[in-house]
Amino acid sequence: MGILLFISVLLVAACGLIYELVAGTLASYLVGDSVFQFSTIIGTYLFAMGIGSALSRYLHRGLAYRFVWIELLLGVVGGFSSALLMLAFAFTQGFELILYALVIVMGVLVGLEIPLLMRILRDRYQFRDVIAHVLTFDYLGALGASLLFPILLVPRLGLVRSAMLFGLINAGVALWSTFLFANQLSGARGLRVACLVVVCGLGVGIAEAKHITATAEDNIYADDIIFARDSRYQHLVLTRFKDDLRLFLNSHLQFSSRDEYRYHEALVHPGLAAVPAPRRVLILGGGDGLAVREILKYPQVESITLVDLDPEMTRLFSTHPMLTKLNHKSLLSPRVHVVNADAFPWVDSNPDSFDFIVIDFPDPTNYSLGKLYTTAFYRAAARHLSAQGFMVVQSTSPMFARDSFWCIAQTLRQAGLQTFPYHVYVPSFGEWGFVLAGTHAYVYPASFPSGLRFVNADGLAVLFQFPPDMAPLSMPPNQLNSQVLVRTYENDWKDISH
Amino acid sequence: MKLGRRQFIGVSSAALVGLSLKSEKKIAGSFVNDSFAMGHLLRDRAAFPSAKRVEKAPVVIVGGGIAGLSAAWRLRTRGFADFVLLEMNAQPGGNARWGENEITAYPWAAHYVPVPGTKAVYVRELFEDLGVLKNGQWEERYLAFSPQERLYLYGRWQEGIEPAVGLTPKDRAQFQRLDDLFSEFRKSGSFTIPVALGLSTKYQDLDRLSFSDWLRQQGFDSRLLYWYMNYACRDDYGALSIDTSAWAGIHYFSSREPEEKGPLTWPEGNGWITRRLLERVGENIRTSQMVHRIAQTRRGVSVFAGDTEFHAEFVIFAAPTFLAPYLFENVPPLHDFVYSPWLTANLTLEHHPDSRGAEPSWDTVFLDSPALGYVDAMHQSLRTHIDRTVWTFYWALVEGAPAQNRQLLLEKDWAYWKEAILHDLERVHPDIRQCVSRIDIMRMGHAMIRPAVGSIFSEERRHLARFNERILFANSDLSGISIFEEAQYHGVEAAQKVLLKLQGRP
Repeated sequence: MGILLFISVLLVAACGLIYELVAGTLASYLVGDSVFQFSTIIGTYLFAMGIGSALSRYLHRGLAYRFVWIELLLGVVGGFSSALLMLAFAFTQGFELILYALVIVMGVLVGLEIPLLMRILRDRYQFRDVIAHVLTFDYLGALGASLLFPILLVPRLGLVRSAMLFGLINAGVALWSTFLFANQLSGARGLRVACLVVVCGLGVGIAEAKHITATAEDNIYADDIIFARDSRYQHLVLTRFKDDLRLFLNSHLQFSSRDEYRYHEALVHPGLAAVPAPRRVLILGGGDGLAVREILKYPQVESITLVDLDPEMTRLFSTHPMLTKLNHKSLLSPRVHVVNADAFPWVDSNPDSFDFIVIDFPDPTNYSLGKLYTTAFYRAAARHLSAQGFMVVQSTSPMFARDSFWCIAQTLRQAGLQTFPYHVYVPSFGEWGFVLAGTHAYVYPASFPSGLRFVNADGLAVLFQFPPDMAPLSMPPNQLNSQVLVRTYENDWKDISH
Repeated sequence: MKLGRRQFIGVSSAALVGLSLKSEKKIAGSFVNDSFAMGHLLRDRAAFPSAKRVEKAPVVIVGGGIAGLSAAWRLRTRGFADFVLLEMNAQPGGNARWGENEITAYPWAAHYVPVPGTKAVYVRELFEDLGVLKNGQWEERYLAFSPQERLYLYGRWQEGIEPAVGLTPKDRAQFQRLDDLFSEFRKSGSFTIPVALGLSTKYQDLDRLSFSDWLRQQGFDSRLLYWYMNYACRDDYGALSIDTSAWAGIHYFSSREPEEKGPLTWPEGNGWITRRLLERVGENIRTSQMVHRIAQTRRGVSVFAGDTEFHAEFVIFAAPTFLAPYLFENVPPLHDFVYSPWLTANLTLEHHPDSRGAEPSWDTVFLDSPALGYVDAMHQSLRTHIDRTVWTFYWALVEGAPAQNRQLLLEKDWAYWKEAILHDLERVHPDIRQCVSRIDIMRMGHAMIRPAVGSIFSEERRHLARFNERILFANSDLSGISIFEEAQYHGVEAAQKVLLKLQGRP
């Protein structure tokens, strides 16, 4: 019996810590400033535990009975705390008030637990053993909880269900205690019924957690972060808001799953459909495999070489179920060869020729990326073009960064290519621009692969027309020794944000 | 030693949580490319072995720096391959030597060539041969990538080395006035590269006073202006403006077009040019061949190197001219050939230090540093992701007499210079010791000719330039300034004179 008692101490301690962590994490996630949130929540929580401990001296009789009720209460309050906080944030102005009220209630209840347990056990063991054992298991439980929380609970269960799971554990301990302390309890049956009610409530909660989260999220602007990872090269963040997946690289939005088809169809099809019998395609950047997905719609394409710097990126888009669903497992196609290499040196040293080249790099936000938008780079890339080939370049927004867009077009011309700029509206990006370039004239293709949602033969010509607010500007070409594009781009966006 | 229980617990728990005493990151390195031991044999008139073998070579080039390599290049491009180039060091290149590690190639000395103007015909011809100049266009990847230069001053960074931050209106006016003066000199057409083409006695007076005296005479007193002028002299001549001829100081600013978009540079600096030249003339080169005597004979010239006597018709002497009195019987001690001592260091960095407020640039300079700053070898890399790199740190020892500084270079050990370098960098990059894993240091007692007062129009120079029909001096020090274009000019000129004699056309 002894060890079972102490295991309930361990469980109880774990529950107490989990509620504290849930409150801290949720507050950081919703309000921000994690240092402030964790500090104040831990402080308040510990202080409330002190109040609980102090109050414990006013409980004289029926200790076991009261312990069971405390566990049940904690199971309910703690278990639903996360859901309650989410809803409070989504629907009320008083998130902080509710947060700290909850923290205090939970802290007081947790503060009552250990003193009560010690007193219950006092008659069974020597006092010094009680202290030693109870505290040992208390701390062990805390350790377990603090490790489980970030490694398993948050990633696998989420905050709402984690809290409820531990609410269930509290309720379980309550139920368990009615048997353990049966000889000290009167009315054990009633207590057991109450326990079952709480367990059922929490069980339903866990089953319905998704709805609770969804209801709350409908009102919360922040999206769920599915993962955030630092690779050697960049900071990758994938977020989800309802059915919308978004990828951010170094905080720049790369795509939104709701409208990326517009971007990737426009990136690939106007150019590729204009190449007669394309066999070999090269993609520089684009480790998300979404452009590859579009290219795979051409059965005559025999091989696609994808050069992306970051192996973490291509690995993720080859393995993560949400992402492979999005790119139709394109990176796993036997026609696709993934090369993880720095694009410029690769282009410089590789001898192969391609019928279509997709250049889909992040915007030129710094001098390193700026190198990939220079005459030197486009000259090197153009050497890989077959006689009938075209290349297409992601060229930022002709609307928000108009100077930059036309600077990229001018750079391609300076590199000896004919250019055919076009633009497309992607809701999550706004107006976005591409420049198609080649050594010969471009003729609108008469047909496209079936099943496209955006690009079609009728609507194509419009993409190549620029209204006055995006009309061509005379810009200098971008070169390695001038890097005018990086400076231009910085100014373009500075103008937007003011 | 017996550990008490307490001590044991203390030590082991400290070890467990990694609380053992913090030790400074270890930085490896050594002196490299030392060559003064050989030079001192000549200076001390040591006995050399007598010749055991005789080799005939119509042309012998002494010295495998840019001047010697350029002479060889011209000979071969004109279809003449019957010559030998003797180089004292194991690695040719002189001031255009380079090194290489697993990260990148890097320079050991000269690291750029300004985009040559129209008068530098030979340089343009060379660059056409090397694919640097194509159809009148400079190859983009050989022009220094942007951002090129940055200066750290008053606790912040600025782009460019000419101070632009913290200038008073008076400073600004003085910079402008000086700029106007340089423009006038530029228009005169007398300050040219190569120097020989424009040199005119009209400006000989400027060679009779120091650059700083001239500045003072013109009424300049801006501290930042003097710093910048001193920096230019230290960087190009290894001397303070007070030790530099005013003519040379003016030449630095007035010999090139201000709107040039260069300079031309490569990860290994001018070592890239050396490598390309070696591809073209490498089979004529004998390295680790120290010439110890050159004597004129009735039929030609004998060049003694090691135990070999080369019988030559012509000798192109492209080694530093100060060696001549020790090699030739008929060259008296030289007075107008002063050389600046330098130190360069290559630092291997495992990562860049934090530098908020500035993009990593090609060339970084600190205001009021005794050294000249550093150049990042990976800056010319085409890669977008760069973590490790090599910095080349430049330090011309300008304070005091060159002979004293040469002594200092010899006396102090590697650890002394390592600390001096880190100390300088640490003022701006406090975390530099955490970034650097290796520092190799090259000491050069006679790194470059110093255009001291009176040296540009020196009689000695003119005499050596027309020394002899069979012995042609070709080092850049003949011009009085040590730059790539001068070395290349003298090398090519000497080769053309030889070709004219041997083949009847240059």
